[in-house]
Formats: sequence, structure tokens, C-alpha cells
Amino acid sequence: MVPLSHYIALSAILFVIGAAGFIFRRNIITVFMCIELMLNAVNLAFMAFSRFRGNLDGQLFVFFVIVVAAAEAAVGLALIISLYRSRDTLAIDELDSMKL
Amino acid sequence: MVAEVTFFILSALALGSAVMVITRRNPVHSALWLIVTLFSVGGVFLILRAPFLFAVQIILYVGGIMVLIIFVIMLVSVDVSGRQQQFSRQWLVGLTTVLILAAELGYALYRGSKGFLLARSAPAAALENNTQAIGTALYQNYMLPVEIASILLLVAMVGAVLMAKRKME
Amino acid sequence: MESGYLTILIYIGAVVFLSAAILGMSAWVGVKRPTREKLSPYECGIQPVGDARERFSISFYLVGMLFILFDVEAVFLYPWAVVYKELKWFGFTEMLLYILILLAGYVYIWKKGALDWSR
Repeated sequence: MVPLSHYIALSAILFVIGAAGFIFRRNIITVFMCIELMLNAVNLAFMAFSRFRGNLDGQLFVFFVIVVAAAEAAVGLALIISLYRSRDTLAIDELDSMKL
Repeated sequence: MVAEVTFFILSALALGSAVMVITRRNPVHSALWLIVTLFSVGGVFLILRAPFLFAVQIILYVGGIMVLIIFVIMLVSVDVSGRQQQFSRQWLVGLTTVLILAAELGYALYRGSKGFLLARSAPAAALENNTQAIGTALYQNYMLPVEIASILLLVAMVGAVLMAKRKME
Repeated sequence: MESGYLTILIYIGAVVFLSAAILGMSAWVGVKRPTREKLSPYECGIQPVGDARERFSISFYLVGMLFILFDVEAVFLYPWAVVYKELKWFGFTEMLLYILILLAGYVYIWKKGALDWSR
């Protein structure tokens, strides 16, 4: 039986990798994929706790997280498409109209 | 024993492919590596005895979201973004943030290793017949969130169509 | 404890071994005499024209997006279907409401012309 701490460690490392990609990458689609990576890390933690506490609520949370991720993907990618049409770029640090 | 070995293989796969996701130049390669990560995490779900969530992970994440992401990469031209600089200029800020985050998580894991023992008690058999149990919980205790999810999906549908279609007519 | 999944594990191992064996053997034993024609991308026997990286129509995205959202709906139906009998009319009404809300979105995008391939 794999102990709980292994799952949590895996989840934490995955999350940090996702966060690193989120900060370092410049292509907005890759940044989006890093968000999915972080969501998956969190889902893994939910699942591990759900199993080890014998409580099903964690699994339901994961289910809703995945559902929300699907809605987020639909809207977020539509945003990326319309951004690309108006700006003709995918690099996040060229989108700086808010800068003073 | 089998579970341990499988867990370590899947973890190595998940972490390795996650690193590939954030280091590949071409977004298509990143997306393909992300699919490997998602499959491995799905496999870990199976080790955790959650076949329903494993199926959802494959059907929704790999079969739905990743397909959409690859569509979008094809829609916006890959070649332009592939030639651009791939890593952002604020690497110092980024590195500091990541190091702090890693240190925090590492410290929490180190401190919490004893705290995890209390959860050892019930790797419960109550979680058998997973899909039925989830169905009962979902449609009785979580009735309102289910309906809210449908409204969220409605909003996503309308919003995405509006934003993607605007320039067309 | 793992007996239920052990068979799947063995199956996965067999699949990986078989595909590695087939690809490895054909790469190792096979004779390679590449010509220009053989190396060109295969496109159902037609001469490939232009670049594969050209931009696609937005309709592909819209169909993919709608696929995901209705995929979510279908995923909600699985756990509902396995406990359908226990939930009785309550579950039926609940699912009816859920589907009606999504149906409203479907009617909207239909009227909006997002499914119209020619535009």
C-alpha cells in the first residue's frame, strides 16, 4: 500500500512544475496547459485524501473541478483565439496595454 | 507490491512528462506530453481505487480538453509562435517565486509527515462500487452544484460562441 | 487487493511489448531504400499540396468546443444511470432540469448559426 505522503509529494511536485511553467513560459497556450497541470496536481491531492479518509466528497470535488476545467477550456481558448485575431501575437509579455 | 511499483512508474512518467510540457518549444509537443501526464495521473487515480474518476479523466481531459487545445494550436499558426522567444524576460522574479513555493511545499511536507498518520485509519471498503456511490452522492447531496454546473456550461457555451464567432460575420 | 487491476496491468504490458516488438523488428530487420516519393507525406494517394500548417476554419473550434460541453453532459449521465432506479422520480426531474438548461444553450447556438458550416 502506497502511503498518503507519497501521493501528496507527487501532487506538490507536479504543482510546482506547473507553477514554474506558468511563470516562465511566454506562449499563452503553453501557459494555459500549465494551468491544467496545476489543476491536475490539486485533483491528485483531493483523490488521495478522499481515499485515505474513506470519504467520497473529495472525489466529487475532483469531478466538479474537471467539469469547471472543461468550461474554462472552452471560454479560455475562445479568448485566446479572439486575442490572437486582434493582436496577432501569442506572447503574454507583449500584451501590456495596462502598463503606464 | 504491484501497486507500489506501478505508482513509482506512473509518478516518474507524470513528473518527466510534466517537465517536458514546460520545456518544449513547440506547443504541439507540449500538448502531447501533457496528454502523457494526464494519462499517468489517471493511472494513479486507478491505484487510488477511483475507476469512475479515471474514466472521467480520460473522457473529459484527454478526449475533450486536450483535443480542443490542439485545435486551437492549429487555428493560431504554430510557426509564428514557435520562432518567438519561448521564455519570458522576468526570469528572476519567476525563479524566486518558484523557489519560495517549492520551499513552502517542501517544508509543509516535512512538517506534516507525522500528521498524515491519522489518515491511515480507513482505507475504507466503503469506496467499493465507486460509480454507484458517486451517483448517489452526486444526485442527492450535491443536487444544487449539479444544476449550477449545467448553468455554468450554458454560460460557457454562449460565451465561447460569441467570442469565437464575433469577427466572422 | 490489486487482483482486479492486475489483469489490466498484464494487458498493458503485453500491448507495450507487442507494439515495441513490431516497430523494433521492422526498424531493425527491414530493408530501407528511401526515395523522394516514399518520403513524401501520405495523403490518400493524392499529391500533397501546400503546407500542412495552414490555418483552419473557426468552425472546427466551435464544433470541438461544443463537443466538450456535451461530453461533460454525457459524463454526468453515467453516475445518474447506474443509480437511476434508487433515485426514482426525484432523480428523473433533476436530470430533466439539467438537460433542459443545456438544451436552451443548444437552441441558442443553433439559432446563432454556430453549427452552420457554410458561413
